[in-house]
Amino acid sequence: MIKNKLAKVVFGSAFLTTMMVPAMALAEEAAEAGGAAPDWRAEVARYAAAGISMAVAAFSAGYAQAKIGSAGAGTLAERPEAGTNIIVLQALPEIIVLLGFVIAFMVGTA
Amino acid sequence: MSTATRESTRKGPGGKDYGYGNARVRGMRSRLLKPAFFEDLMHAKDIGAVIQTLMDTEYSSELEERLLQGRTANNVDEALRDNMVHTFNKVLSVINDEAYELVTTLLGRWDVFNIKTIVRGLHMHLAEEEITEGLVPVGQLSYIDLEELTRQGDIKALVDTLSTWDLPFGVPLREVLPQYLENEDLSLLELALDKYYSEWAAKELKGRGHNEQLSRRFLGIQVDTINLVTCLRLLNSDIGDQDPKRFYLPGGLRVTEQLFLDLAAKSDVDEVYDRLKKTPYGRTVEEVAVKYIESGSVAVFERALEDYLMRKAFAAGQGDPLGVGIVIGYLWAKANEVTNLRIVVKGVSVGMPVDRMREELIV
Repeated sequence: MIKNKLAKVVFGSAFLTTMMVPAMALAEEAAEAGGAAPDWRAEVARYAAAGISMAVAAFSAGYAQAKIGSAGAGTLAERPEAGTNIIVLQALPEIIVLLGFVIAFMVGTA
Repeated sequence: MSTATRESTRKGPGGKDYGYGNARVRGMRSRLLKPAFFEDLMHAKDIGAVIQTLMDTEYSSELEERLLQGRTANNVDEALRDNMVHTFNKVLSVINDEAYELVTTLLGRWDVFNIKTIVRGLHMHLAEEEITEGLVPVGQLSYIDLEELTRQGDIKALVDTLSTWDLPFGVPLREVLPQYLENEDLSLLELALDKYYSEWAAKELKGRGHNEQLSRRFLGIQVDTINLVTCLRLLNSDIGDQDPKRFYLPGGLRVTEQLFLDLAAKSDVDEVYDRLKKTPYGRTVEEVAVKYIESGSVAVFERALEDYLMRKAFAAGQGDPLGVGIVIGYLWAKANEVTNLRIVVKGVSVGMPVDRMREELIV
């Protein structure tokens, strides 16, 4: 069912994003333990993790906005007075991207 | 012919995205008339006051068109029917492909209703206008298709045309046509159409998805209610040496062929109730049993089962917000609203007491 698919995508992306942070922390520790010069593999993993967390968050928000957008268009066609509410609902998934961005920033600058 | 034409001109969203269509349908549902509105309408002093009240609703545009021919109850009735047809067509144009397939299968009962109306009209040699007055083109057959069928002049030509158009309803009619031509028994054609539709629709709705199952269940309840009404009618009628099995419609949910035959063999309502007790219809039959004993009319049961079906349709509309139930619930609620308005319009125009009108309203 569509609801289940949506739940899978949201939980999946949240899981991936959460897993990236400890993975990066470990990579950082390994780099520090290795000596003064950071290991290039740890650097690559860090930037890759930052990119992934941003991308997954952006795709999730896009998926959510597509669903809300099509339902919102339908509602607006029948009840134009609900316009303000639809715009607010349409903007809500942006928070997911924002969180993804914050995580990416933290990972990238750690 | 017509089916292909209507599908190819459809502009609704494709695939399985229920978001857009269901949001529109929910918006339309919010404009359905409330019980308080009916209460006010029943207290209107004459048909003029009814028209005045209806002009503030979404029936206004159809009323404006029809009332150009006179402010009569008949014209209001026509306007209500026009609005129902427009609304159904609008819903069919905004829903996705999957919902369209499921809903048009369920709306096939209206196609059967229309074809039966034409068949009856042609059988009785009625004028074209008289036949078309009774048509409600909300299924796959458009008004133009139905007009064309009406113009055929006799039943043989009608069956030939349906077969030429490659419509499923031509098949059962062609099968029983020789028998009909022999003894002119209209019930042969009607029964063949009903049986064919319930079998065909059950086959069409045989998917494993949630929406297919919901539609299949709803069709099953519809077929069950028809079978139960037939059984209750058989209690009071003498069918001679005819096999009751002949009247059984396949495709029901709970009323199996065995149960149908058992019920048809009963001699009074108490026995029927005892046999139905363990089915969901037992309570419905029990609730109106006293009323039936008082009035002696099977119409009481017919009405109660119709109410049951409506409640099921409303329940379907309260379920999954991204499923076909919303659409089914709305279409049945709309049809119910139009039926109720027609009752009130007729009632007010003939001076029926408010209590009587209230009794007649469905759900």
